[in-house]
Amino acid sequence: MEFPVIVSPDNEDLLEKLTGRRVALRVGRWDRIAAGLEMVRKSGCSLFCIIVESDRPVADIDFGDCPAGVPLALMAPSTGRFRSLARHLDMLRTLNLRVYLPWDSAENLPGLRILSSVGINCCAYSETGLTDWEALADLATYALLERAPHAAIEPFAYIASNYNPSEYLHWGRVMFDDPTCFAHSDEAGRVALSRSELARGCFVARSPREISAWPELPEVRDRKLSWKRFFAENHPCASCPGWKICLGKFSAGLAQNGGCATFFEEMIDLVHRYRAMPAPRREVEIWRP
Amino acid sequence: MAVTAIQLCLAVLLPLRGKALFARNDTMPNILLTTLCNRSCPYCFAGNEMPGPANLISRENLIYIADFLLASGQRHISLLGGEPTLHPECLDFILYLLDRGFNVTVFTNGILGQCDLDEFKRHLAGVSVERLDFVCNLNNPIQTPASAQESEKVHTFLETMGPWTTPGFNIYRLDFSLDFLFDYIGRYGMKRRLRLGIAHPVPGSRTDFIQTGEIREVVSRLYSYRRFFDRFRVSPGLDCGFPICKFSDEELGWLHRFPGNPFFGCGPAIDISPDMSVYHCFPLSKYHRKSLFEFDSMARLREHFRTIRSAIQAEIAGIYDECDGCQRREDGVCSGGGLCRIVGRFVDEAPIRLAEIEDGISGYRISG
Repeated sequence: MEFPVIVSPDNEDLLEKLTGRRVALRVGRWDRIAAGLEMVRKSGCSLFCIIVESDRPVADIDFGDCPAGVPLALMAPSTGRFRSLARHLDMLRTLNLRVYLPWDSAENLPGLRILSSVGINCCAYSETGLTDWEALADLATYALLERAPHAAIEPFAYIASNYNPSEYLHWGRVMFDDPTCFAHSDEAGRVALSRSELARGCFVARSPREISAWPELPEVRDRKLSWKRFFAENHPCASCPGWKICLGKFSAGLAQNGGCATFFEEMIDLVHRYRAMPAPRREVEIWRP
Repeated sequence: MAVTAIQLCLAVLLPLRGKALFARNDTMPNILLTTLCNRSCPYCFAGNEMPGPANLISRENLIYIADFLLASGQRHISLLGGEPTLHPECLDFILYLLDRGFNVTVFTNGILGQCDLDEFKRHLAGVSVERLDFVCNLNNPIQTPASAQESEKVHTFLETMGPWTTPGFNIYRLDFSLDFLFDYIGRYGMKRRLRLGIAHPVPGSRTDFIQTGEIREVVSRLYSYRRFFDRFRVSPGLDCGFPICKFSDEELGWLHRFPGNPFFGCGPAIDISPDMSVYHCFPLSKYHRKSLFEFDSMARLREHFRTIRSAIQAEIAGIYDECDGCQRREDGVCSGGGLCRIVGRFVDEAPIRLAEIEDGISGYRISG
């Protein structure tokens, strides 16, 4: 197992402790990108990407200059009004950018489709666990089978490229949610396996120094093999047709909304249809976690 | 040997024979953003779509249509309603479609609130007039009077968006007057093209329209304005349903002096409603209505409506008896008048019809 990328806040002292490591730097505003790049350069870390965590809709962000080619992940609550977004599009299309929107909000599903259709790479992710599976399947169908040119929508594009019927597919990495690839650090240097665990204060290491033994950490090993639990408990997820690309990710909400099984089954069918297309559409290639 | 205007017309159009010229291949599909309207015109041909609860097109449907058209190689799109600017996201949709590479035409009545108009101006000021066209449907203020407030809004719209605006006028009475339009064009710096529609009967709806036997009178009155067209350098653009035989050689020759070929056809316009229904045109909105999801390209969609037209015209060739065997129609230079009028003839003249053609048409009567 490779050493993970550390998803870190833009804290100079913390970055100095991570010298030599690859970092995905979290900044709170677009205008912090330049300072963040400088911080990473000074610290001797190597940059994996900059994650801009905005509390404003994409359309309302004050986009300043950004060096071309820097891998950027922009996390925003929504796209905002297209009339405001339109003036930024020419600039955004020149960037090595992926926009992340939570799929839990109904307005974001058309929002993701709009972004993709105007050539902005994007990614849908679950924030609260509330999912309209049917609407998400529509978005996946659009992402993979639409003939008109459009940019990639993750995680569907990742699943379509990497799905292998004889293997399990971990696609959480496209949204920095895979402990074999990413470790999440807070300002104090404490480390968690995922962003949500970081928010809940569930840490697996008290300082970056402990990370040197990352692959050996019991929590990381357990998480990697956590799928086995579903078989041991004879959980319904283990016999789901979509198991190989879901691996029980949505088991917590199964009782409330069992639409995930249909979704993942449909997802596998979409992948087959995507691969059977005579000339699969080529996406604009940008960085990918 | 003198070449008559009709010979000139045929020389231009005949090489295109067999390409169903009256069903233009470059037909712009019309997307109804909403069924809401804030004006009540006596000739309204969209009335069948307007009643009932307000219907707004969703973002998902708009994106689907944009993708559908792009995949079909279409680069022009028209937005209409109801009144399209009443859709709260009308401006966003215009900007979106422009960004997708479409040239956009918006059919409006120009009745916008000041805030909306300011937003339009702010966001559209940088858009080329070649790529964005507001066709503003203007009524004669004397013959079709409106409230002072409504008139003021239209004038404010024209003052603000004049350079992006083509005037449109619907002829629904024989004493129509166009004078005011030439004044508007100069005063507001509008595009120098006047889109002229002839009001057609709408099955099932009681609206004012030009009777089939009155079309020659309309053409004659229209031609009486030739000096205005020439002096103000405004080109007349004929909308659907003008039959070529109602124009004299002199009138045809005059039309040919303007850019673009005059049009003596009839759609299909192809209207797409907010619920994704598709139909030939407004007057025939209830006739052989389909869902857009049943088609995989514009070509298939056009073909569907052309097939229906062919089936109809195999029984009744056109709006006049003389359309049967007419060389111009067979050559594809003229459609034999508007399909809505041809379908209307079934109601009165052909009691026994093919089920395929019938499609419930006898359920409505032609208005008037």
